[in-house]
Amino acid sequence: MPKKLAILSLFLVAALMLAACAAAPPAAEAPAEEAPMEEAPADMSGKVVIASGGMIRIGGSFALTGPIPDPGLNIRHGAELAIDDLNAMGGLEGFMFELVAEDGACDGTQGTNVGNKFAADETIVAVTGGTCSGETFGLMPILQEARIPFVSPSATNPDITSADCDVCNRVALSDALQGATDAAFIVSDLGITSIAVVHDNSDYGKGLAEIFQSNVMDLGGEVSSFEGVQVGDTDFRAMLAKVGADGPQVIFFGGYSTEAGLIAQQMTETPGLEETAFMSVDGAYTQQYLEAAGGAAEGTYISFVAGADSEEMNADFDAKYMEKYGVSPDELGPFHSQSYDSVKLIAAAIAAVASVDDSGNLVIDREELISAIRSVDAFEGLTGTIKCDGMGECGAGGVQIFQVMDGSFNQVSGFGME
Amino acid sequence: MTSSPVKAQAAGRDGRASLKQFTRALGAAIVVLVIWRVTTVGLAEGYPASFWISQALNGLVLGGVYALVALGYTLVYGILFMINFAHGEVMMIGGITGFFALQFAQARGWMEGPWPVVVVALLLIMFIGMAASVLIGVTLERLAYRPLRQAPRLVPLISAIGASLFLQYSVLLIFGVSPHSYRKPALISGGLRLGDVFIPYTGAIIFITSILLMLALYFIIQRTKLGRAMRAVAEDRSTASLMGVDVNAVIVVTFMLGSALAGAAGVMLGFHNTVVKFNSGFIPGLKAFTAAVLGGIGNIPGAMFGALILGLIEAIGPSALGIPTEYKDVIAFTMLVLILIFRPTGLFGEVLSEKKA
Repeated sequence: MPKKLAILSLFLVAALMLAACAAAPPAAEAPAEEAPMEEAPADMSGKVVIASGGMIRIGGSFALTGPIPDPGLNIRHGAELAIDDLNAMGGLEGFMFELVAEDGACDGTQGTNVGNKFAADETIVAVTGGTCSGETFGLMPILQEARIPFVSPSATNPDITSADCDVCNRVALSDALQGATDAAFIVSDLGITSIAVVHDNSDYGKGLAEIFQSNVMDLGGEVSSFEGVQVGDTDFRAMLAKVGADGPQVIFFGGYSTEAGLIAQQMTETPGLEETAFMSVDGAYTQQYLEAAGGAAEGTYISFVAGADSEEMNADFDAKYMEKYGVSPDELGPFHSQSYDSVKLIAAAIAAVASVDDSGNLVIDREELISAIRSVDAFEGLTGTIKCDGMGECGAGGVQIFQVMDGSFNQVSGFGME
Repeated sequence: MTSSPVKAQAAGRDGRASLKQFTRALGAAIVVLVIWRVTTVGLAEGYPASFWISQALNGLVLGGVYALVALGYTLVYGILFMINFAHGEVMMIGGITGFFALQFAQARGWMEGPWPVVVVALLLIMFIGMAASVLIGVTLERLAYRPLRQAPRLVPLISAIGASLFLQYSVLLIFGVSPHSYRKPALISGGLRLGDVFIPYTGAIIFITSILLMLALYFIIQRTKLGRAMRAVAEDRSTASLMGVDVNAVIVVTFMLGSALAGAAGVMLGFHNTVVKFNSGFIPGLKAFTAAVLGGIGNIPGAMFGALILGLIEAIGPSALGIPTEYKDVIAFTMLVLILIFRPTGLFGEVLSEKKA
């Protein structure tokens, strides 16, 4: 009897593990299907028709749970403020905008669920999101199939945009740029050549760590170890002891706030790593990082893919944010301005293609909308003047590098400082 | 049926014998493979002795936490023959409550006071965490398990998984999805440095406290009247009840003891790893369950040693086998599978009463 129960329990454990590992997103396959671009159908199936008095519904996939809930909420707030502003200016031809927010949980499986929900809802015109790269990889193939264009404010993995996906766009900058800038900063500016690379096995963190690693090698730096952890781990001591045995001068971590903070903190307790510098990336450019790292955050480096902020527009945005949510937008995390721009950009593209038919319905052709987003040129957003290219890269700005001093981020290098 | 039943039985015996031989050969092959891998890859890396000592200490701290949680699994299994899969959440509740108790203490400046004040405050925080866990553990028993005591064994198991999810998402709703960061008081920040080995104070406290708590538990079970009643119920519930043992009370006390240990583990892990959130009991819970099976579920010393062994393997394994540390969980759960195949009763064997055997 005990044996039976033990085996039964084993199956249960396996099932639970599977449930837990569902967080591991499916491989980032670029959607293979070729979109039927030519010959728009004569019927209304390729069009969204909104009856008079209806709403223009924009879906939103935000990481409200998962490893970075605070930035997820912040990004949702950014999108909500954009919708408020659009409607305050009278909407579009008398039609108001509406945000349909879903929790993408920063996770591929949940991204797929959200994608399916949007694809099944014929009133969804376009989507803003997802927040994380893994989540966006889940959304991507489904929205491509459903011909719903999306603009992600914060998914930075280079493979989010590709020649195979005509609905995929983002206003964040690709990690190809961030990885290269970080590597140049460490190897050329700091003159450090012995580097340990750690990632959290997320599409975002691991992807960025790999880009960073190859850039370091190109610059003549040496990667002493390349180690992975899991999103949600809290005890990194065994991993750090192993990394510390090689005595690297810096640890670079590709991942999110909490894990980054805990690694920075536990490094100070690891023989061989007391003097080692620590650098992490935009996923850790948050208050949560400072809180999780505590005193160990001092002197650590964080890079961020920043927009070319126009101060006047941002001051207005910050005031509205403060008024509506009672916190400063920087309190919860980065990317709120990208999120605001993402929604405004979608709205601008919709305005370019929408028309009112004889019976007073607003008609939006899906294929026209997909190409309209790519034709956005000189759109004035919070993150600068946005221009989308043929691949869906709409990001403006550059990579900034910050150092933590007296408990706050101080820019030490990068975009806006030259 | 052409062959006679006798023949079929003989064939079955042969089949069993050859299966046994096969598993033995497989076991030997795995052991040889591991030894070969350790000697050719792990040791060839040339890590200094201080490295292995550091890793072993990391493993003992981890093992101490697993042991406290594993005891809860094993105690409940010993008495009810059910796996309380919500036990990891009981630990998490202890950690979350400890966080708020710590905030309360910090707001009043107790954590900056002279050291006796800090020590008393820390003990109080741990006690509050344990009390919260006990409350949840006893409530679970009353609401989720007691009504199902006469049901088939699978039913309370499913109820336990439901309770686990219920607790996780209740905490998510009430306390939010963001992690809560423990701020260590200066007294227990940092650690001891012995040459190239660093022992964080929190790690040392976890190990020593877990040993003390386990000794206390062992004393309760072996030397008190209550412990005798627990052993009697584990041996044979109905006979124990005929002898005047209040079975319900014993079961409640068992849940209280297990939950108190888990609560203590939750608070100490909070101080050690400094982050707790709604799902931070899930993986440690599974690990502790693995540890309990490793030592022989239902066997109290087995759970303690199983947990320490699991902690050590998790910390040392990846370096010794020369594989990335991200596979530490794979090593732990592979151990579970291997133990279930080769020694289903665990390394130390389940202590079987006649009724169970």
